[in-house]
Amino acid sequence: MSTRRLQKELLELKNEGAPAGIQLLKGDDFQSWILSIEVLGESLYKGDKFALEFRFDSQYPIAPPSVTFVVNEQFQAPEHPHVYSNGHICASILANEWSPVLTVSAVCITLQSMLASCKRKERPPDNDRYVARAPADPRRTRWAFHDDDV
Amino acid sequence: MSNREPLWYCHECHAEMRPLMVPDPHCASCNGTFVEKMENPADDPREFSGGDFEDPFSGDGGDNFLFGLMRAMAPPQPNRTASAPGTGNGSGFTLHIDRTGTPGGGARTTFSTRPMQSRSRTTQSDRTGEIPTLSDYVARNPAGTRPEGNTINGSLMFQYLLAMLQQPGRRGQFDNTLGGLVPPGAENGRMGDYVFNQEALDQIITQIMESSSAHPVAATEEVMEKLPREVLEEGSPLLEKDCAVCKDQFSLTTEDPDELVIVTLPCKHPFHEPCIVPWLKSSGTCPVCRYQLVPQPDHHSPGPGSPNGPGGSGNNRPRAGSGGGSGSTGGFAAAPGGIFGNLFQMFGAGGSDTNGNSNHSGSSSNTTGNNRPSTSRTNSTNHNNSSQNAREHVPGGWSDDMEVD
Repeated sequence: MSTRRLQKELLELKNEGAPAGIQLLKGDDFQSWILSIEVLGESLYKGDKFALEFRFDSQYPIAPPSVTFVVNEQFQAPEHPHVYSNGHICASILANEWSPVLTVSAVCITLQSMLASCKRKERPPDNDRYVARAPADPRRTRWAFHDDDV
Repeated sequence: MSNREPLWYCHECHAEMRPLMVPDPHCASCNGTFVEKMENPADDPREFSGGDFEDPFSGDGGDNFLFGLMRAMAPPQPNRTASAPGTGNGSGFTLHIDRTGTPGGGARTTFSTRPMQSRSRTTQSDRTGEIPTLSDYVARNPAGTRPEGNTINGSLMFQYLLAMLQQPGRRGQFDNTLGGLVPPGAENGRMGDYVFNQEALDQIITQIMESSSAHPVAATEEVMEKLPREVLEEGSPLLEKDCAVCKDQFSLTTEDPDELVIVTLPCKHPFHEPCIVPWLKSSGTCPVCRYQLVPQPDHHSPGPGSPNGPGGSGNNRPRAGSGGGSGSTGGFAAAPGGIFGNLFQMFGAGGSDTNGNSNHSGSSSNTTGNNRPSTSRTNSTNHNNSSQNAREHVPGGWSDDMEVD
């Protein structure tokens, strides 16, 4: 099912285009895609461009994809209370509130709005501790979701 | 005065003296009141000082007291002392209560424990000051031998109580009461409620935080079997709808005959059977509206009474904008009132994380009922099981532990 669903999503992204502020940078296979994400309008991240890496396994879309902000020479993880400096994202929809109804572009839009509504540019309070010991796949982390409003 | 009055012994300063009667006996040297007349040579109070304890709950005295208590509670095992390898002695303790009337008129009770056969042994080998791990006690073989060189210092009395509750022979009886509070093994500076280093404390805090984010509860086989199924046929109104999981429109021309079977959830959202069943096995909710087929720990989801209406399936709306009251990011997802359940679960899982509990026998029953929403969550009575469950791979399921490499 994962390939068929991803094929459909990829086709849609290519044919109909990604949502505003989002661009498919890499989508050559059904293992890993990279999309860029910008926050449109006034926000703390105005003018910044981030990249999201989606990694899929055969369980997709029953299981969520692994989604992280790309951290390399070109991209940095946004400074946000729910984004760790290693690119891991603490978002309930990527964890226990995932639903197979969600798609790659839906996730991008959600994260875009998460950034757009941010009021303080800062790292999660436990950033250093988490980053030091984080698993490679953030889906292996059990997140505690602290608040609804960021 | 040829027939002299016997001397008194002061348990506080260990002096032998004649007490000041004011009117109760007071030690002539330190003025303490914990003094005893040495009148019975068979029960010389000075011998109690062999363990060098002043308080029955500190030092070896406390150890022995609790250890003796543990013995007393243990069911009789005829071969216990016989099979103790090598030592044989020193493993039995008696609880000794000594009630002595004092000349001053007040009655006084002293109590202590001492090894039945070898008093000196405890004073030699058990005083290394090294803190044993709880698993040493848990793992103690049925013969009751105590690992050499390990002792718990008095302030850690609680550890003994934990160990006592954890004794293989006593398991089950206490597990139900404590809900599995007691960790089956304690390495890495963790023992029950105590931690000995910053890392262990971090671990615990992390686990508490993490365990408060609730996992979805899977639908039971029974619930899934009862869902209405419909085989697609010509003219079915379903043919105009999509499956929200695979995003395909329902169709009669499909390669997979299973996709002709449509499951409609109580909230009226239809899905291909092969699409919805794997999801329900990981979360008993509607993917579209999060209607709960089985109660979920997550209070964000709309309750069974408020499903979205029919239709609207197969759209690509992001969750964030789709109502349902769910915060798309964040959201404190702890099961309301389930914090103790989570704590218990966490202690169970945490203990087995830290390895070294393979000899935790006697807990391999009750493997069923994993998916029951309430029982498995709030009072997991079997730590080993609960941690194993967490590791079972369920499609879309969440592995429990943050890997620390």
